[in-house]
Amino acid sequence: MNTSEPLLSISLSVGYRGKSAVLRNVALEIAPGEVLGLVGQSGSGKSTLALAILRLLELKRGRAEGTANFQGRDLIALKESELRRIRGKEIGLVLQSPLSSLNPALRIGTQMFEAWGAHARGPSERRRHSVLEALASVSLPADDVFLQRYPSQISVGQAQRVLIAMAVLHRPSLLIADEPTSALDVITQSEILALFGKLNKEMGMAVLYISHDLLSVASLCHRIAILHEGVIVECGRVAQIFGYPVHPYTQRLVQAMPDKTALIARAPVARLAASAAVPT
Amino acid sequence: MSGIQKFACWTLAAIVLGGIALSIIVPADYTVQFRETPNAVPTHQHLLGTDELGRDRLARVLYGTRISLLLAPAAAFLSTLMAALIGVVSGYFGSWCERLALAVTDLVLSLPWLFLMLAVRAVLPLNVSPLTSVVITFLLLGLLGWAASARVLCTGTRVLRNSDFILQARASGLHGFRLLAVHIIPNLKPVLYAQFLISVPVFILSEANLGILGLGVAEPLPSWGSLLRELEGWGGFSTEPWKLAPMLLLILVVSCFQVILAREEVSA
Repeated sequence: MNTSEPLLSISLSVGYRGKSAVLRNVALEIAPGEVLGLVGQSGSGKSTLALAILRLLELKRGRAEGTANFQGRDLIALKESELRRIRGKEIGLVLQSPLSSLNPALRIGTQMFEAWGAHARGPSERRRHSVLEALASVSLPADDVFLQRYPSQISVGQAQRVLIAMAVLHRPSLLIADEPTSALDVITQSEILALFGKLNKEMGMAVLYISHDLLSVASLCHRIAILHEGVIVECGRVAQIFGYPVHPYTQRLVQAMPDKTALIARAPVARLAASAAVPT
Repeated sequence: MSGIQKFACWTLAAIVLGGIALSIIVPADYTVQFRETPNAVPTHQHLLGTDELGRDRLARVLYGTRISLLLAPAAAFLSTLMAALIGVVSGYFGSWCERLALAVTDLVLSLPWLFLMLAVRAVLPLNVSPLTSVVITFLLLGLLGWAASARVLCTGTRVLRNSDFILQARASGLHGFRLLAVHIIPNLKPVLYAQFLISVPVFILSEANLGILGLGVAEPLPSWGSLLRELEGWGGFSTEPWKLAPMLLLILVVSCFQVILAREEVSA
């Protein structure tokens, strides 16, 4: 991990109008190229944090106080017009429900071209090239047939890949992924996780990976922060969190994880062998 | 599409075609007077008889069809356009903009529509050329009939504004009118289309209402409304049933629209 200046350093309190604070003095640092996992149960304020960093909470009548320093600029104090130049260009966001995050009335190509055009100008050939390159980087068919499709014509896993492709289109230095695998089946989940690992290595982008699933986070992240009831209760390297959890909530999380060896040990060997036999 | 809806579509198409091809069907233009035969009963030459000035009734009914069926969709287009402008912009920008637009919309909706239309029409000069009267009627219907549609579109836009894909588009750096034009308007197309279709029969009837009162399309131009004025002092069904033709046509066209719209509502 890089020990120099952090890429993003936040200290935020967030609340919605007429309700008590959702996040209280949440402090986090992400180094350039680092993958930080943010784990917490539903309702703990994980998604709120993701939106608060990009200041998209105002649409949902939320208010963020504090600082979010990103490469020397405070995102919370920045002018809206300057923030727009950061959204999608320097910080990418992937939301949790792939199909509802794509516009049902627009072709995949149109949506990708729009995302490209938000931060770049140039001939349509260059635009097409960048978009196809982004699609290839997330292992999607990089051809015109795919660009012509509507969101209803692709699978959930493909939709999530499209969203990731859209988020990495401008090669941002930070990618925020808000429960990107929660709507996917286990195999697609592991593929998407591997994809994040690959993008992190190849493009060197830092990732804030938000999830309620400690196991998937452990396989991907360098460090893990545990969010509980709006407060970061513990933050450390993966081995530290799993080996020596300090906070009671972290201990409960670690204990609740399924143990593969224990599962196998529960069944008698003979019965296992019989059920595993391939029918002829 | 069910059988009855297909039938409604074909009927509408036949009526429109009749309006277009009227010069082949009828013996003379809608203004030509057959002075020797006023108030004639139906004959081979005049299939629906003539009016009190001796003009061929079928020619007038078909020409009135042309005017009514052009005027109503045009007015519906204008009112839908206004509704889109007011509803979409207020729903998209929200806050005070939305509150102001909805307050104005509520005010317009709470006014008695027919009386408002009559009052506005009465303020405008009545002694105008026939063509000007058509334009005035069109503008009147279009400019006063947007409120209900605007409300629907405002709500639709607000729902879209808070959707995940708009959030995602904002996170990609899109904003302002670009976001509105590219991401929101295409999703409102079915609503805009439905609002347009719902307005058409409403405006056909509104134009007929104005016409009966002599405030719609001016003579000598015929429209369904002005043709219905003939029924003042009508001799009765047993003696002059053919004079009901414009009314039957009006009922038929509005019913056809309702039948086709029923399908739109189900499939929407």
